[in-house]
Amino acid sequence: MDGVFDVAIIGGGVIGSAVARELSRYQLRICVLEKELDVCNGVSGRNTGLLHSGILNEEGLLRTECCKEGNAEFEQVARELDVPFRRCGKLIVSFGEEERIRLEGLYRRGLKNGIPGIRMIGHDEIKEIEPNADGDFAIFIPSAGILCPFTYTIALAENAAMNGVTYYFNEEVTGIARAGDGMFAIHATSGTFVSRWAINCSGLSSYQISPMLGFDSYKPKRVKGQYEILDKKAGAYLSLPIYPTPNEYGAFDVHVTPTIEGNVLVGPTIENIGTELDYSATQEMINTLGCSGEKLFAQVKRDYYIRNYVGIFPTAEDPLTHAELDFQIQTKPSVPHAVNLVGINSPGLTSALPIARRVVAKVKEQELLIVNKTFNPVRKGIVRFSSLEREEQDRLIRQNPDYGEIYCRCECVTKAEIKQAIHNVLGVCTISGIKYRTRASMGRCQGGYCETRLTAMLQDELRLDKTDILLNKKGAYMFTGKVK
Amino acid sequence: MERRDVVIIGGGPAGLAAAVELKKRNIADVLIIEREKQLGGILRQCIHDGFGLTRFGESFSGPEYSQRFIDEAAALGIDAMTNATVIDLSPDKVVTVAAQDGLKRIQANAVILAMGCRERTRGALAIPGSRPSGIYTAGVAQSYMNLYNTMVGKEIVIMGSGDIGLIMARRFTLEGAHVKAVFEVLPYPSGLPRNIEQCLNDYDIPLYLSHSVINIVGDKRIEGVEVAQVDARMNPISGTNRYFPCDTLILSVGLIPENELSLAAGVELDVRTKGAFVDESHQTSVPGVFAAGNVLHVHDLVDFVSLEAESLAESAAQFIREGELPACGIALTPSPEIGHIIPQKISGTRDFQLSLRVRKPVGKCKIVVRQGEREIKSVSLPKAIPAEMIQFAVSCEKISSGEPIEVSVYER
Amino acid sequence: MSDKRTFTCIVCPNGCTIETVFDGDKILEINGQQCKRGEEYVRQELTDPRRTIASSVPISGATLPLCSVRLTKAIPKREIFNVMREINKVRLAAPVSIGHVVIQDVCGLGSDVIVTKNLPKATEA
Repeated sequence: MDGVFDVAIIGGGVIGSAVARELSRYQLRICVLEKELDVCNGVSGRNTGLLHSGILNEEGLLRTECCKEGNAEFEQVARELDVPFRRCGKLIVSFGEEERIRLEGLYRRGLKNGIPGIRMIGHDEIKEIEPNADGDFAIFIPSAGILCPFTYTIALAENAAMNGVTYYFNEEVTGIARAGDGMFAIHATSGTFVSRWAINCSGLSSYQISPMLGFDSYKPKRVKGQYEILDKKAGAYLSLPIYPTPNEYGAFDVHVTPTIEGNVLVGPTIENIGTELDYSATQEMINTLGCSGEKLFAQVKRDYYIRNYVGIFPTAEDPLTHAELDFQIQTKPSVPHAVNLVGINSPGLTSALPIARRVVAKVKEQELLIVNKTFNPVRKGIVRFSSLEREEQDRLIRQNPDYGEIYCRCECVTKAEIKQAIHNVLGVCTISGIKYRTRASMGRCQGGYCETRLTAMLQDELRLDKTDILLNKKGAYMFTGKVK
Repeated sequence: MERRDVVIIGGGPAGLAAAVELKKRNIADVLIIEREKQLGGILRQCIHDGFGLTRFGESFSGPEYSQRFIDEAAALGIDAMTNATVIDLSPDKVVTVAAQDGLKRIQANAVILAMGCRERTRGALAIPGSRPSGIYTAGVAQSYMNLYNTMVGKEIVIMGSGDIGLIMARRFTLEGAHVKAVFEVLPYPSGLPRNIEQCLNDYDIPLYLSHSVINIVGDKRIEGVEVAQVDARMNPISGTNRYFPCDTLILSVGLIPENELSLAAGVELDVRTKGAFVDESHQTSVPGVFAAGNVLHVHDLVDFVSLEAESLAESAAQFIREGELPACGIALTPSPEIGHIIPQKISGTRDFQLSLRVRKPVGKCKIVVRQGEREIKSVSLPKAIPAEMIQFAVSCEKISSGEPIEVSVYER
Repeated sequence: MSDKRTFTCIVCPNGCTIETVFDGDKILEINGQQCKRGEEYVRQELTDPRRTIASSVPISGATLPLCSVRLTKAIPKREIFNVMREINKVRLAAPVSIGHVVIQDVCGLGSDVIVTKNLPKATEA
């Protein structure tokens, strides 16, 4: 680390990166401390990738307000940050009388929340909207959409970095002290970061960072959700997310969601777990996903399974009522120059920028911020060869022959894209870092064709030893050395 | 747009053999398109020997075997575009290729699909557990070891007893790694008996049949696997769990014909082979599009891949000259004991080669080809196992038109 | 005094299961082989089991870091790791072509280690 910062953001997920980006609009020296080797390795990268409408949350909550605000502005955000996104709408379907009653309750909440364009529809209209969906009744929510959470978080982080924010990876915060001059001394893996402000955006670790900063500790309550990713061949049959009616506890059981890239996500399952972070998939939940998914969408077949993953959602509960707390953006008179974000789970992805603006407002309550006149809200992503028209593909190849070498055959990713990903502005150098930036190895062969190329190129471009190549985190080495 | 008589997609053993044979049949304008920088396909990394016993009566390593075809293709002046990937194939046989000098579109009279296959992955099997590094399919590990000089690990557990996994068990052992065990979920091996013998037994590597990996442990690098014995329905038997520490898990759990381009061209696939439905000429449901080798059905021996590809040349040449091939209206169907057959339909006017695999091992048996009540052909075998493809010629003499043909196996 | 043993013939892909009754190195009964090479294989296994191996050696100046090699003739099974030790000492420089002898008469076993891949110099490739 280099000198003293005005703001240190703890956590480089979608929230931390959105806060970094929004604060980079002002003349501030900002750093982001991330314990993993890339952004998006926690909650932000392990969710459904949905642009929520706000129908699922109670009226008057901060999460509802942020969600609606984030939803409404996303066309502009997507344009600025070059994030693929589709406002495809969503169906919440019901079967039978009991579900219909619950669905109507949800619909009334949607009306009260002012969710634009929602409609109660019958079987025929369900079939008209999506022939592969089924149900007696459904709520159609036209404002819901899908986006890639990796691309979005990376875009926010890269835009922040372009505007002067410094990302530090492999920096796990272990303690925070306050010097006599009021500066925070943030002890992390490689040493101490000194900063005037500290902002806790650490997701699943928020409950540990809160007391370090001087805020109340709270008991985390965690929900584990398992997902299955389906082949794009199944994706061809699904145009929008299909949710079942919430169960009697108000939670959504397994649903199916198309991804912006054309795959299908089945899940999540719901399991309440303690504080332990266990990302293991279990056979029981794999079976549950298969059975429940199939009921909503006939293409949930074993032949289409590509991969599974587990997400863990941080929730904070009220110590007295045990009810789940709303999003918390806390400041405290006894802890000046600190903002503490707690309980940011769903719809955190949709709400990231609205939350970030509220964080900026909190900072402004305590000091005058000077506008950064060079701030540029526009970030360009790596051009996806596969998304271009043939003429455009040809033109690119003629400019740069690396576009003519297909490294990942399933997702049609070229050598040129991989090279750009390796030299990303954040300095991420893991295999999964390349994957999240290009989609290489995310297809049906799961790197069977391209992984050898990715590792060889990473090794060559960054002059790494074989043993230094990591899948995604410290200790996740790929190789033990040379054969000879 | 560039025009070609024949475009062959894939420069591995199938594509090379087809090219050479077509050229010999005076089809001058043949183009092989290969995505790697060199021809040879998967054989480039198959450095063990045992190739060519059927085709050449001699045992070679994979690179030597493919070099014979590469040399022959070169001597015949066959065009090959390497480091070029076909990214689309249209139903009217326009091939779109990405290469370093641009995107090319080639109109072909005939297309030969020779793209080979890919490996089944952990994700496709949905193996429970965490997602650490150190999990490789056998072919990927083979590529790392034999082409990139990269050692993927030292303490190895292998899941699945496919041939590549067995070959890799021996490779790892010879290069100083420790292969702890091979686990096969079925009650019999998936690989060839000779590979069980010379790759596992020779090196005292235990093979556990009816066992499966039920959990993967390790947050960063894989630390071990939990294994259980399975019952007849492949469900883990409680109380049989054992933990095997390891730093590497190799998967050799099956190969899947790579037919994404075939689907783009509108080629119909057989759910049994996961390859195209073909007739006796190896022509797919799209006229002028042929398929051979592992893209059609997974072979156990490269020799059979070469022979299959060579056998389609005559018909492909006829198609190019005449623009069509005899209609094939007689359907061939396998009985339930037979996993799949190739071809799935015939004309009844030509002799043809029948390929099949049984679903489960059987001892002394008879394979019978029957049209209605009439026996067309029968072949007696000392044994039949799923690991081995069974091939024999069938004469058209006794075949009459129309009525479907059934292929059955009878244990004796 | 006779023994029974089942062999899996590795001579060809048929992989015949061969049931034998033998006394020392003398075969008393043999069944299951589809050709006469099966019987030869069993006789060899009883007296002096032999195998061929393949490996690879580092090569400089080629497009690949490794060059594949194999034995020209089977060697006694017990010698496999001794031969591997010799193969591990070899270093090659491009160009090499198929058949190039890397080690003649390795360990005095009457078998050569030969190159099985054509690897021209990187610039020529």
